[in-house]
Amino acid sequence: MTSAPAMTGARATLRVCLVGGLISYRALFNWISPALYIPTMLLGPVFQILFFVYLGRFVQLRDDSFFVVGNAVQISGMSGVYAGVMAIANERQFQTLSALLASPANRPALFIGRALPVIANGLIVSAWGFGVSALLLHFRPAASSLAPLALVVLVSVVSCTAWGLTLGSLGMRFRDVFMIANLAYYLMWVFCGVNLPESALPTAMVWIGRALPMTHGIQAAREIAAGGSLGGAAGLIGVELGIAAAYLVAALLLFRLFELEGKRRATLEQA
Amino acid sequence: MTAPVIEVEGLRRTYRVSTGAVRRRTLEVEAVRGISFSVGEGELFGLLGPNGAGKTTTIKMLITLLVPTSGTARVLGFDVVRQSREVRKRIGYVFGGDRGLYDRLSGLDNLRYFAELYGVPPREQKRRIFELLDLVGLNGREGERVEGYSRGMRQRLHVARGLLHDPPVVFLDEPTIGVDPVGARELRATMAALVSAGKTVLLTTHYMFEADALCNRIAVIAKGQIVAEGSPSALKAMVTDGVVVELEAYDPPPGGADALRRVPGVARVTVEERDQAQLFVVQAAAGFEGTPELIAALGDARLTRVATREPTLEDAYVALVEGASG
Repeated sequence: MTSAPAMTGARATLRVCLVGGLISYRALFNWISPALYIPTMLLGPVFQILFFVYLGRFVQLRDDSFFVVGNAVQISGMSGVYAGVMAIANERQFQTLSALLASPANRPALFIGRALPVIANGLIVSAWGFGVSALLLHFRPAASSLAPLALVVLVSVVSCTAWGLTLGSLGMRFRDVFMIANLAYYLMWVFCGVNLPESALPTAMVWIGRALPMTHGIQAAREIAAGGSLGGAAGLIGVELGIAAAYLVAALLLFRLFELEGKRRATLEQA
Repeated sequence: MTAPVIEVEGLRRTYRVSTGAVRRRTLEVEAVRGISFSVGEGELFGLLGPNGAGKTTTIKMLITLLVPTSGTARVLGFDVVRQSREVRKRIGYVFGGDRGLYDRLSGLDNLRYFAELYGVPPREQKRRIFELLDLVGLNGREGERVEGYSRGMRQRLHVARGLLHDPPVVFLDEPTIGVDPVGARELRATMAALVSAGKTVLLTTHYMFEADALCNRIAVIAKGQIVAEGSPSALKAMVTDGVVVELEAYDPPPGGADALRRVPGVARVTVEERDQAQLFVVQAAAGFEGTPELIAALGDARLTRVATREPTLEDAYVALVEGASG
């Protein structure tokens, strides 16, 4: 049996990213059945949006749009945070990490590839949130706002997924990373201005929120939904993109650091 | 020996283990204590040793999953620490057991995934995967999820996975563990075929007959150190060039083994428990004719079997490992 030489360079990297990323996403996430996905990713978020919109109406703090936009963007965070974490931490849980690390595959390409379906799922969930809000709550942004709104949601989901990957990298070092994911998800709920304006938060919380994903994305989405232009929200979108890039770099550096540490301390296979 | 493909020099690995909940103490455990060996091109080299002897730790250092505490190791001239990616491209490995496969993917998808990780060109993948499925006898079962595979099927899938990128060097860590006798025989044939195809193989196994049948050379490792190295026949000769007498006895007297050791010409005695009986394995010098004295040494014990045979690799292994234990 003889084989052609292994692929190298950009082509190999691209295939690891796209094909490898997709197969490994299936490997790590096909335990999610419709019976689990529909209540968790679709029904639960609808109740969340309804709860905060009606709460907002009751306390007359802000209009419906404030809560619809905040929550419809935030619900994509469930995919970004949890799936981002699992995209790395599940390898250790499933005891496949050694097989992965003994391969010559480009790690950044592989994990970015795994993040792509996570991002797509976040977009679906967010679009579902906006769609249901349009049907049930008469949320009607201008037609010209839809494309810019979609772009802002995409940037927010990317940023949130990068944050999830950063937390997932901690799973290379710490066993109880899923607890960290829970904390991180609720941290975003409080600090990212999902249901509260920045002005209602103490200064320290505002600064923490500004270092988290979604905060700037939610603000940009609110501006656009209120009729603002994409150009007007460009600064916020740029910051959100910067935060996404920073978390992605942090995720890859932490992964590398913990990979090396795991090889020194022999901790890679401790599930 | 041909040019070395695997070169290990003074390789050492220690672990830190913490014990105690309140007063935590950190202990340093030496898993591998400065071992050296080399494996030539096209050779099948066996690493034998009891559980915890350091075999798997050694393999993990060679496949770049563990950093040695000290010493060096090179595979095809590449340093396993400083040039780890170059090493990974050129090696395949197979671990015994259930780890390392994605249970919820089919066998085919597992292979497709690892083919991507190892950069197998897309036009090659399908042909290569089905050749390997055929080789390991999983053709027709490749569409099933791995979670439904038996232990033996998983093990065979591991072998196929390790060979996907046609590596020149293959590490096999107890590849036949948990595999039924027919499957194990097929895997052994596969290992022999790998060597025939010019690959260099490093094998760890507990099965002496497997090592005896397959390996060109063997290193016996005990307590992290290599206690003997050579061809299977050289190892057998190293321990004894004499004979082995086996005595199966019911109700032997206390100190029966010591009594046997005092018989002139006896080099070593080991005892195996067999239900209610004990099997005394006596290694003796060439030309030993003291079997009647051995029988007499066991006094009133009821002997159900007395047999004389040639020493096996297992006798050599037991003697070497027991010798290392002091």
